[in-house]
Amino acid sequence: MNARLARAASSLAVIAVLLAAWELAVGYGLLKAYQFPPPSKIARGFVELSLTGFPTGVSLWTHTGVTIWRVLQGYVAAILLAVPLGLLIGALPVLDKLSAPLIVFCRSVATLSLLPLVIVWFGAGELTKVVLIGYGCFWTMLSNVIAGVRYVDPVLVRAARSCGLQGPELYREIVLPAALPRIFAGARMALGVGFMVIVGAEMIGTIQGLGALIMEARTFYRSEITIVGMLVIGLLGFLISSGLAGLERVLMPWAGNLDQVRR
Amino acid sequence: MSGTALRSNDLALGLIGTLAVILLWETSVRTGLIDPAVFPSPSLAIAAASERLTARQLGENLSWSLARVFSGFALGALAGVLVGVLAGWYRRFGLVVSPLVELLRPIPPLAWIPLAIIWFGLGEPSKFFIIFLGAFFPVVTAAYQGMRSVDPMLLRAGQTMGLSGVPLLLRVAIPAAAPDLATGLRIGWGLSFGVLVAAELIAADRGLGYMIIAERNAGGSVGVIIVGILLIGALNLLTDAAIGVAIRHWVGRWHGS
Amino acid sequence: MSCAGDISMREPDATPQAGRRTRAPFIRIEAVHKAFAARQGGELMVLDSIDLDIAENEFVSLIGRSGCGKTTLLNIIAGLDAATSGRIAIGERPVTGPGQGQGVVFQQHALFPWLTALGNVSFGFRKAGLPLEERRERSLELLRLVGLEAAANKYPREMSGGMQQRVSIARALALDPQILLMDEPFGALDELTRIELQQELLRIWQARRKTVVFVTHSIDEALMLSDRIVLLAPNPGRIQRIFEVPMPRPRSRTEPAFNALYDEIWSELSS
Repeated sequence: MNARLARAASSLAVIAVLLAAWELAVGYGLLKAYQFPPPSKIARGFVELSLTGFPTGVSLWTHTGVTIWRVLQGYVAAILLAVPLGLLIGALPVLDKLSAPLIVFCRSVATLSLLPLVIVWFGAGELTKVVLIGYGCFWTMLSNVIAGVRYVDPVLVRAARSCGLQGPELYREIVLPAALPRIFAGARMALGVGFMVIVGAEMIGTIQGLGALIMEARTFYRSEITIVGMLVIGLLGFLISSGLAGLERVLMPWAGNLDQVRR
Repeated sequence: MSGTALRSNDLALGLIGTLAVILLWETSVRTGLIDPAVFPSPSLAIAAASERLTARQLGENLSWSLARVFSGFALGALAGVLVGVLAGWYRRFGLVVSPLVELLRPIPPLAWIPLAIIWFGLGEPSKFFIIFLGAFFPVVTAAYQGMRSVDPMLLRAGQTMGLSGVPLLLRVAIPAAAPDLATGLRIGWGLSFGVLVAAELIAADRGLGYMIIAERNAGGSVGVIIVGILLIGALNLLTDAAIGVAIRHWVGRWHGS
Repeated sequence: MSCAGDISMREPDATPQAGRRTRAPFIRIEAVHKAFAARQGGELMVLDSIDLDIAENEFVSLIGRSGCGKTTLLNIIAGLDAATSGRIAIGERPVTGPGQGQGVVFQQHALFPWLTALGNVSFGFRKAGLPLEERRERSLELLRLVGLEAAANKYPREMSGGMQQRVSIARALALDPQILLMDEPFGALDELTRIELQQELLRIWQARRKTVVFVTHSIDEALMLSDRIVLLAPNPGRIQRIFEVPMPRPRSRTEPAFNALYDEIWSELSS
């Protein structure tokens, strides 16, 4: 425990020193305030963003809410589709083999490259962004659900078989629970993907949302607002992934740490 | 991926599945189930693309994209390996660097675009920077983790052979961390690629991403867009597969118990 | 491939007279203490006042219950750990670190997984600064000695536990070490392989005379292999008793002398 506290303390110290040095550097003219807005300016920007908003009237919380809402819609839709489909494909090896190259390919398509196409289909509105996020999340989630089901430890399956389980019962009682850690890992990854997609998607053709915020701010030379936006995005991403990791631990206390899961 | 080779059965089934989908796509457009103006069939898309684009144009955009992603990845990966390995090996350096990296890591590379433009302007350097970031973070994390999880017994064995300091790092620690490093590089490449496309969509005047969005902005053919998308997807897949083969050869041979 | 019992001795070894050292000590361990800082404050004394002389080409085993510090002592001789106080010298030179002529074989083989058997053994020849071809030759020779010439191009993960330990021994020998330190090298292997490797080790030791310090928790193993057995007691680690093993090799588990000594050590251990 002591070691952890010490590390945390030294990390904070490093960051504090960096911030202080930064502030001084700008103060002494070593760094340009426009390119490297000092922490004090960033803090003021944060306050402005929270209260007055940028553009005026659209507060930080509105932007954040819009972004989260978009991600949520796409993400949930993707999960709802991917899980049953993945469970089905995973259950039937033939289906898996038939669909494997296709799934791998669709996953390899850079989600954002679909933006122009989706705009042609659905215009430049909300639906476009949700569809895009949904696409990105879907294939990641699908791959992981399938993998989770397919790569259940054969020892477990054998043990279950020798207890007389087979077929759908085996699938339900043994394979599904054993696949859960991987499925959750997939859910976490998918959210990460969705998050990355939305940031990019919001940089074109919209003025609300965190991605839009940081782009707009640049156009008006408000670099400190851009940085606030970036930090909020980072914080959001961090909270989401640790939140999900925590949820995983609560729901599946028996599972080990799967941060090392390789594809 | 495990080290098992693809069996010809699996390959055949995969091929069948893919062909089936392509066929389905083609026929549904021909029979009018899907409006060809909205979602052209493969044949139509390729035809449209060959009309609107010359091979030279395509080649030019392709080379620009590839050059960007290769150079950005190379430098980002190199920096990531250097920083990650040194941070993992020298505790003090790690204590200083680690909080900074952890702080910046959750910020998606694309979120850096406006800042990159502020710092480097609208030209190549800003795109290079974003791709650099795309490679840097996964690689530095993997390198750091790899170094921290080197089996101490291996280091002891190296010491009994008279190694210490830098030679011990180079001849024992780094090879031991190679599997983690390899995975990090593979992930970094995938990310760089994705970032490349997005960056080209948002702020570029050449490259595959640009090609797609320019077509859309010019109100041109959906076929070109689709061909562009598919091409990017295929490139991503091929390069990733190539990396996978390289990893299996250099690492897969000896890794695992 | 050697089989148990198939070893022919050219002559029985010269067995030192019980209690009297006729040769100059090669390894001198004088008044060695080792203490660790305990978590709750204060000190944890792991080794207390160890005095031991080991003659050249002698085979000495360290045995004792867990916590008696035998591995710590071995690590100190190997230079991987430093004694808190006291002196250790190998051939008159004080031990200041690893890689000074101590060849070590660990319980977990610690072979470099990215190198083949040949590669691992050649690694030991690095320091000698020999040309590549000669390194290869000498490495093959050592692999032949441990009976693994055929597996030269295999990676550790393709080898069984017994094979891995043989390669470890070959690699340690490649250093041409003055002494060989072995920390329960056969502990992780199955019974049959263990017995086989004990015989192998004796054969190798006969062929390439080295001073050996061998840590084991098996009285049986110690009796099969050693000239002397040092029994360590735990909390704090100290020498309880030293046994001479004057039996000529090859030794048999059915010999009355063997069993008598076994019982003696056993009762000393359990007292």
